[in-house]
Amino acid sequence: MASNEDIQKDLEAREYDAGFVTDIESDTIAPGLNEDVIRQISAIKKEPEWMLEWRLSAYRHWLTMEEPTWAAVDYKPTDYQSISYYSAPKSDKDAPESLDEIDPKLIETYEKLGIPLREQKMLAGIKGSNVAVDAVFDSVSVATTFKKKLTEAGVIFCPISEAIREHPELVKQYLGSVVPPQDNFFAALNCAVFTDGSFVYIPKGVRCPMELSTYFRINALNTGQFERTLIIADEGAYVSYLEGCTAPQRDENQLHAAIVELVALDDAEIKYATVQNWYPGDKNGVGGIYNFVTKRADCRGNRSKVSWTQVETGSAITWKYPSCILRGDYSRGEFYSVAVTTQCQQADTGTKMIHLGKNTSSTIISKGISAGRAQQSYRGLVRMGKGAENARNYTQCDSLLLGDQCGAHTFPYVEVKNPTATLEHEATTSKIGEDQLFYCQQRGLSEEDAVNMIVNGFCKDVFDVLPMEFAVEANRLMEVSLEGSVG
Amino acid sequence: MKLIQTVKQDALACFEKIGLPSKRDEDWKYTDASRLAGLLEMSDANKKVDSNGLGMLDLDAYRIVFINGVWDEKQSNLPKGVAIQSLTAINDSKLFQISADAPLLNGFNALNAAKARDGAAICLADNSVLDKPLYILHVSNQNQIIRHGMMLGKHAQANIIEHFISVGEDKALSNASTAIILKAGAHLEHSRIQQEGKAQSHVARVEVKQLRDSSYTFHGVELGASLSRTDLVVSLSEQGASCDLNGLFVLGGRQHVDHHTRIDHIAPHCTSRELYRTILDDRSHAVFNGKVMVHKGAIKTDSKMSNGNVLLSKHAEIDTKPELEIYNDDVKCAHGATVGQLDDQQLFYLRSRGISEAAAQELLTFAFADEVLAAMSNQVVRSYVEKEAFAKLPHGDDLEGLLGE
Repeated sequence: MASNEDIQKDLEAREYDAGFVTDIESDTIAPGLNEDVIRQISAIKKEPEWMLEWRLSAYRHWLTMEEPTWAAVDYKPTDYQSISYYSAPKSDKDAPESLDEIDPKLIETYEKLGIPLREQKMLAGIKGSNVAVDAVFDSVSVATTFKKKLTEAGVIFCPISEAIREHPELVKQYLGSVVPPQDNFFAALNCAVFTDGSFVYIPKGVRCPMELSTYFRINALNTGQFERTLIIADEGAYVSYLEGCTAPQRDENQLHAAIVELVALDDAEIKYATVQNWYPGDKNGVGGIYNFVTKRADCRGNRSKVSWTQVETGSAITWKYPSCILRGDYSRGEFYSVAVTTQCQQADTGTKMIHLGKNTSSTIISKGISAGRAQQSYRGLVRMGKGAENARNYTQCDSLLLGDQCGAHTFPYVEVKNPTATLEHEATTSKIGEDQLFYCQQRGLSEEDAVNMIVNGFCKDVFDVLPMEFAVEANRLMEVSLEGSVG
Repeated sequence: MKLIQTVKQDALACFEKIGLPSKRDEDWKYTDASRLAGLLEMSDANKKVDSNGLGMLDLDAYRIVFINGVWDEKQSNLPKGVAIQSLTAINDSKLFQISADAPLLNGFNALNAAKARDGAAICLADNSVLDKPLYILHVSNQNQIIRHGMMLGKHAQANIIEHFISVGEDKALSNASTAIILKAGAHLEHSRIQQEGKAQSHVARVEVKQLRDSSYTFHGVELGASLSRTDLVVSLSEQGASCDLNGLFVLGGRQHVDHHTRIDHIAPHCTSRELYRTILDDRSHAVFNGKVMVHKGAIKTDSKMSNGNVLLSKHAEIDTKPELEIYNDDVKCAHGATVGQLDDQQLFYLRSRGISEAAAQELLTFAFADEVLAAMSNQVVRSYVEKEAFAKLPHGDDLEGLLGE
């Protein structure tokens, strides 16, 4: 059985193919965090007074909090005073309206990532349907495409700093209503210093005419990225949002503490998909991104639906629990996840499904692949509140182990307070079965192909629900992570 | 100073270091330890207890009776050729030794080691087989601290039943612990039936160390007490060891029962199985936390855990957390947990056969619970538990006729 060892060896040898630094001049605030820095960020963003106050109160609360230590990850504590909290590419001053005006270097960057804006534009030309991109390059949205088409539909899709200025009533109503500033250490930090992110509002009864997409990319050295995303789907609205991440190679750990808030009102549906491939550190665990993200959806309306899909292959440390609060009756939450950890990566990830409304249902499918010396944990919570009549949950979390140095852990919390609730939880952990390999091989497949096929089959449940546009990227990521190294 | 005094002092020092658990401790998240802390004061005066007619009377077994935590020799009936002693008789026992970094160790366990008054030290020689079960009955009407130790020699076999009963209405705390060592090839079936009074609280620790090819079967039955917490820690420390842990909670009123189990797979080729079922009525609250830890090098580990829960009332609550921690790739581990109601189709089937809805529900609830008890080898113990569990179900009386004797 050489195959597992081979994969392991290959995985260790796997290099980060998106590791490059684009040479763009950046506007950066000196490292450090205090009220003045927050005032400065707020001033650069030309924010109204209420926003500044909001940030400052979050900051003051953050000062009273301690960094959480309960996750099964191990890392050197971050010095929050050594981080620069703002960095903007200088070339955005001209505020480009179309692709032609965009800094060619930026396009080059995206091209290296394999999913350039140009390709999408091309796709648009051919198929007529498309992906609108609000590209976040470091902390400022550089390009927003397809704005016109979206405006016609009444959809607001813009950088959040613009939304604060242009749509204060919406922002005031919803910002922090799903993840309050006091929620947790990293959320409070984000509330105080977030620099940019996306804002989406889909009006009543509108089906968003295209998939929305943002590329986050941490670029300037030593700048933590604090993204803030807020998506509101009004009654009967539908939106599918894609988020993809890659970052250039670094030797110092970079902090990323984002917040994503989703609000779904009556009959609304939000699909949120993530492909995360930040720099995971080298094979000795040096460098890499710290990814401490708070993602939460509030299914406020009856019959609303939110689905989280994520493919996680990057980051040195991941601390991420996309959650759904199922408040409305008949609301539904879904969580599909594939997480790959190799080398010295550590991931503590999972989901929370909080059932409050009647007849709410949720599905959790989590697939973890752990190789090398990586440690991976699934940490989930399913809570059925007293009023969650006939609530239903199905959870399946499977782990695949490659190599005897890695670890896979499962910490599922189940709390049920309603007798009519039905819940099923299943988890398995194993390595690739020798009988499975043997079966494939005796059908004429090479060992590598067989391993490949089994791994692909293992992840299929999740890849199947990825939006078309993303399936390509996810497959590519998996290829890089496993397939490329096996074949 | 005698060894025992030193060891007890160490345990006290350990207690002072770790203190009592609080809600901030992850392992006590759902159970309020402060409810137990108020009961710690011990009175030295021994109250009289009338234990006549208590326990499993028709069980053909060797008996040891503890009254308020003290061995009652008159009522006991010991097997010949087996070393069973009162703890007070063996003063240099290492049974009291504890280590603060043992898994799930808490302040109550440390207190137990520091202050235990009595207990049974049971030692089976190599190749000895107990011909009848050993029945340990505990009757109390005040606080008690008991510490048992059991050691089974190579290829020894025994069936040991611990039964806890309290009389009277006073609030009191039982703090019990059982330390078990199974040598190569030994087999122990160990039942723990907790049936204390409504005002009583119970905190316990069972710690098992298994050597090569030994096997351990545990039946934990929780019927009584207002608050009961048990920590069950099994260490599979040599090749081929296997354990089988079964638990059944049948709760009503405001009962709160919490079982934390922890299985450490340290050696290769070990097997563990765990099956816990709970039935919750009224305002009862059950907590199950099962953790399987597969250490580096424990290859060919085979582990399965399953936890099923039925809530009969809208005020009942279940918190369950089946955990896996795996540091190895050559393993087969699975766990599952379910919370739900009785199957509609099964109910319909029974009703179509002329059985009333209430009776059908009872029957299915009973069947759900009884699956755990099926692993009990002694039929007398099993039917005793079935009967007592029945009585706790809402229409238990009707059922007895339905099932027959």
